[in-house]
Amino acid sequence: MSRLLVEALAVAAKDLRTEFRTRVALNALGLFALTVLAAVSYTVGPYRITAEDRPFLLAVLLWIVIFFAALAGLDRSFVKEEESHTAPLLRLAASPTAVWLGKLGFNLILIYFLMAILVPLYCILMGYKILLVGGFVLILVFGGYALAVITTIVAAIIARALTRGALFSVLSLPLLLPLLIFLIQGTAGAADGTAETVANTLRAVLSMGGVMTIVSAMLFPVVWAD
Amino acid sequence: MRVSEALKWLLLVWLAVVIIAAFFYVRPAEGFIGESSRIVFFHVPMAWIAVLAFLVSCITSVMYLKRRDPKDDIRASVSAGLGLLFAVLATTTGAVFARIMWNAYWNWDPRQTSITILLLIYAAYLALRGAIDDPERRASLSAVYAILAFVTVPFLVFVVPRIYWSLHPDTIINTRGSNEFDSRYTQVLMASLVGFTGLYVWLYTIGCRIESIRQRRRQEVL
Repeated sequence: MSRLLVEALAVAAKDLRTEFRTRVALNALGLFALTVLAAVSYTVGPYRITAEDRPFLLAVLLWIVIFFAALAGLDRSFVKEEESHTAPLLRLAASPTAVWLGKLGFNLILIYFLMAILVPLYCILMGYKILLVGGFVLILVFGGYALAVITTIVAAIIARALTRGALFSVLSLPLLLPLLIFLIQGTAGAADGTAETVANTLRAVLSMGGVMTIVSAMLFPVVWAD
Repeated sequence: MRVSEALKWLLLVWLAVVIIAAFFYVRPAEGFIGESSRIVFFHVPMAWIAVLAFLVSCITSVMYLKRRDPKDDIRASVSAGLGLLFAVLATTTGAVFARIMWNAYWNWDPRQTSITILLLIYAAYLALRGAIDDPERRASLSAVYAILAFVTVPFLVFVVPRIYWSLHPDTIINTRGSNEFDSRYTQVLMASLVGFTGLYVWLYTIGCRIESIRQRRRQEVL
């Protein structure tokens, strides 16, 4: 068990190190998110949406930015391996499950990093008042986890395909849409203080994340094998 | 006459009787505008077949990953294609029904959202198949995607409509466990379900045979 963790941590550390050298995924994620945020903040701003629509519409915009930023940058971990031809060596060096855990960890770090910068900025620039902050943070944490799990396995699938970039979005979106629906509803509930909606959302997101984790863990060795 | 031919004729007669019965044997149900309740006899079986086809695709995908038999891959792709067809039909009939009942073809009702996502999953599956050249890798990667996608279906079909309020009429097997329709309605609906399942099985068998012949021809050319 600990060998698995050691290998996984090594894979994640390697990915982080190479990522900081070139910063491709960080740039993709960060610039996309900041650009959209700037555009939305400039055109919509804190005043244009009426008070009763604010919880829901601002939740929608927030999750759209997060999701599309994720789609822009999260396939990087596997595509990078294929492009630099280091994938066969990685297959030899670590067990498939360790590779999966490591890549998942890397994607998680990317997503949480994005959220840590984007969400406070969004709330400040758009004047988004959240009543249930604890619930909101939990939604972000578990939603980000489910997002990372799904995008990791899909990135592994498309890494060996022909039209990688477009295919990543095409394959991820149907799997991510139910998650998106739950997260938007939950965030709107956290913003206007309905604890029941937040509880329902957390339950749904946790179960989705859990199911996807187990299925990904079982299917990844098949995808990773040559 | 061989058994399969007899079954095909039986299917024809069965579906013809179902269609006639849908219009002449049952009275329009209460709570529905005009004759629109009759669409249930076609809309529900098609939605059911769309999910059934997806289930078959997922099961044959699992079998492919276990046995690596190319026939399982053929079965998975044929079933996914059929599932897409029936899902499109179910969506269209549902939209027509929505127009009659609530004056809008589409309003992103949770069930409409669920069927859209199902359509997107099928389309993505077929896109993935088109994007990989190597047949074995194509088969195993699409098998993985079919399984992944099927895992989200219970959330779409059961969780989303239950958590969020829906305009969609109560499902036949509803939470109270009671049957709201009169007995003639149930008879025709069950008969329609059986008929459409038979139609799916027939199309599926033909599709699998065509695909395996195509594959054999491709290998002979090589």
